[in-house]
Amino acid sequence: MKRKNWVRLDNASNIFLASMTDFDTKVFRLSATMEEAIDPILLQLALDKNFEAYPLYHSVLRRGVFWYYLEESDLKPQVLLDEQPPCSQLYHFDRKELLFRVVYYQNRIHLEVFHALSDGTGAMWFFEDLLSEYVLLQNDFISAETNKESSQSERAIEGAHTDSFIHHFRHKGQRTYAEAAQSSIRKLTGASKTAGKFALEYGKKAMRYEMTNQENKKKRKKVYQIKGKRTIDNRTHVVELNMSVQPVLKLAHEQNASLTIYLTALFIEAIQKTNPVVEDGMTIAVSVPVNLRKFYDSTSARNFFSTTHLEYTYEPSEETNLAVICKTLKEQLQQQLSPNSLETRLNKLIAYEFNPITRVIFRPVKDGILKVINYFNNRGLTFAMSNLGSVQLPQSIDDKVHQFYFQTSAVRPQFCVISHQDYLSICLNSPFVETTLYKQFVRDLTALGVPITISANRIDGLELRGEEE
Amino acid sequence: MRYCQECKVSVNGDWLNCPLCHQPLEKVSEIPTPNPYPDIPLRFNKQQVLRILTSISIATISISLIIELFFLNSTRGLNIISFGIVSMWLVVLIIIRKRRNIAKSIVYLIISLSLLSIYWDYVEGWSAWSTTHAVPMICIFALIAMYIAVRLVKVEVEDYILYLLCAALIGLIPAVFLFFDWVTNPLPAWLSIGLSTVMLIVNFIFYRAEVLRELKKRMMV
Ligand SMILES: [Zn+2]
Repeated sequence: MKRKNWVRLDNASNIFLASMTDFDTKVFRLSATMEEAIDPILLQLALDKNFEAYPLYHSVLRRGVFWYYLEESDLKPQVLLDEQPPCSQLYHFDRKELLFRVVYYQNRIHLEVFHALSDGTGAMWFFEDLLSEYVLLQNDFISAETNKESSQSERAIEGAHTDSFIHHFRHKGQRTYAEAAQSSIRKLTGASKTAGKFALEYGKKAMRYEMTNQENKKKRKKVYQIKGKRTIDNRTHVVELNMSVQPVLKLAHEQNASLTIYLTALFIEAIQKTNPVVEDGMTIAVSVPVNLRKFYDSTSARNFFSTTHLEYTYEPSEETNLAVICKTLKEQLQQQLSPNSLETRLNKLIAYEFNPITRVIFRPVKDGILKVINYFNNRGLTFAMSNLGSVQLPQSIDDKVHQFYFQTSAVRPQFCVISHQDYLSICLNSPFVETTLYKQFVRDLTALGVPITISANRIDGLELRGEEE
Repeated sequence: MRYCQECKVSVNGDWLNCPLCHQPLEKVSEIPTPNPYPDIPLRFNKQQVLRILTSISIATISISLIIELFFLNSTRGLNIISFGIVSMWLVVLIIIRKRRNIAKSIVYLIISLSLLSIYWDYVEGWSAWSTTHAVPMICIFALIAMYIAVRLVKVEVEDYILYLLCAALIGLIPAVFLFFDWVTNPLPAWLSIGLSTVMLIVNFIFYRAEVLRELKKRMMV
């Protein structure tokens, strides 16, 4: 009998399991549009090939007494037609199933990943290589059809192959299951025990610092919570916005802000406009994840991000406009991305990871504690945004892939941003039926002169039967 | 392609009203652009239905209990009925909740049914039928059931071995009943002990490595 490799699930991923619910599945989706309708057979071939190179994606999740653990499995992924609502549940207790799926519809390929397995950046590597593989197979297929007459196309394919090869090995250190599945923190710290102890000391200091810091700004803030009616079958409500990058970037630069800050500020304004109660001294708080690989030299495909907390309080006495909000958010973000602040966060993560006390707590108890932490985290947030940035593809496939999309399951309204070449896509996700907030956000953008095309999923029985009022 | 004059957006798909503001859309070109989000029929939420059914029956039981206690002043007949209902739901819930792991659900069943029968025996004025017959019988049949089930459904060794071990260990508990003389007839207890011992020995001989590896994996600190 073949022995299965297994590895303990890292602390960063545990929170996703504890906070997973029927409507917040903790699944995110990366999509790409291709030139033509997707060929499921080629996509399956591409997936099979790519799957071999990514041992982490062979994992199934299982429950132990103290920890969840990832176990290597013999399951093979199957390409599916998009027949479930976006970001449908991937992990069910006691069921052995892969923690990702590849689906297709029309000319789109989607990769859905359970967040306990990887974060957006990690999953993007897998996705890019899957797309490369698909394009290569398509080229091979086309050249086979034309009987390989043109030597020029052959050379192009050869070039593409080497490109893909380099691409594969860009993420070195992920060739074996044990290494690929290792927590990013452990990888970073070298996983030695001394490093752990050392980190723990640092972590304690960091936490003490954090505590005093929090006490200092203990002004009772009322964080605004967006309420609404849940969709009937808990599906995520998606409105996808497609636009050109340049006009939006220009608008952002006019406010002296980054795209992330600018869009966040616009969303805050939209919330304030649709909910006038916000005006009398309410705080709008947003969480923005930051990819830690940018700051620490790490090639881990596991979760490796930190969240920053930005907020803006509407004071009835002060005048507010977009510029003021942008400026406030920018200062907060800069402060939280300072080397000092980042180190504090990282040390905290390390301290949790190596903490001997959390290790011996039974898993259900741990889950309970994390659920409580998650509940209070949620109470302190109005919405969330996530920006995966601009996707850079290897040259050979850059023209073949048109646009990227990124979205996640939502416990509250939120939006996800991603761009490729001159295409910018913003996916508005929410667990609610109402579209008032979406409408405001979109109208604010179009009023600034940005042409937008939208797509949306149908969420209620009436819409699905085509009986719109 | 359609267009919303109010929101100033183009809309993909065959929407007649704007997905944002629900105003009628204007047709700007005859060429339809497909919606990248397929129409997915509503899902019937089984879990929710089950939850509702469960709460209704629990509410019904408690209401009838209250009526019986305060207005009819007799609890004897109701005890049996409510125990029956409770054990039935217990079985259903365990099987539904643990349906993906047969061995685990059998262990849960052994424990809950045994405790329930002991409690029932106690409430009815202790005639030791639970320790004499019920618990040993539950253990014996559960072990047999598990052995058959894992073979019928083809469960991997590592997935059931620890639960089989658990069930076998529980099957040794009737020894305690014998020791304290809580039984009126020692035969069922001896049968349970015998079968469990055989299971334990077989496991020890054939699956020692698997047991140790599974234990290490699940108990890792
Ligand atoms: Zn509209």
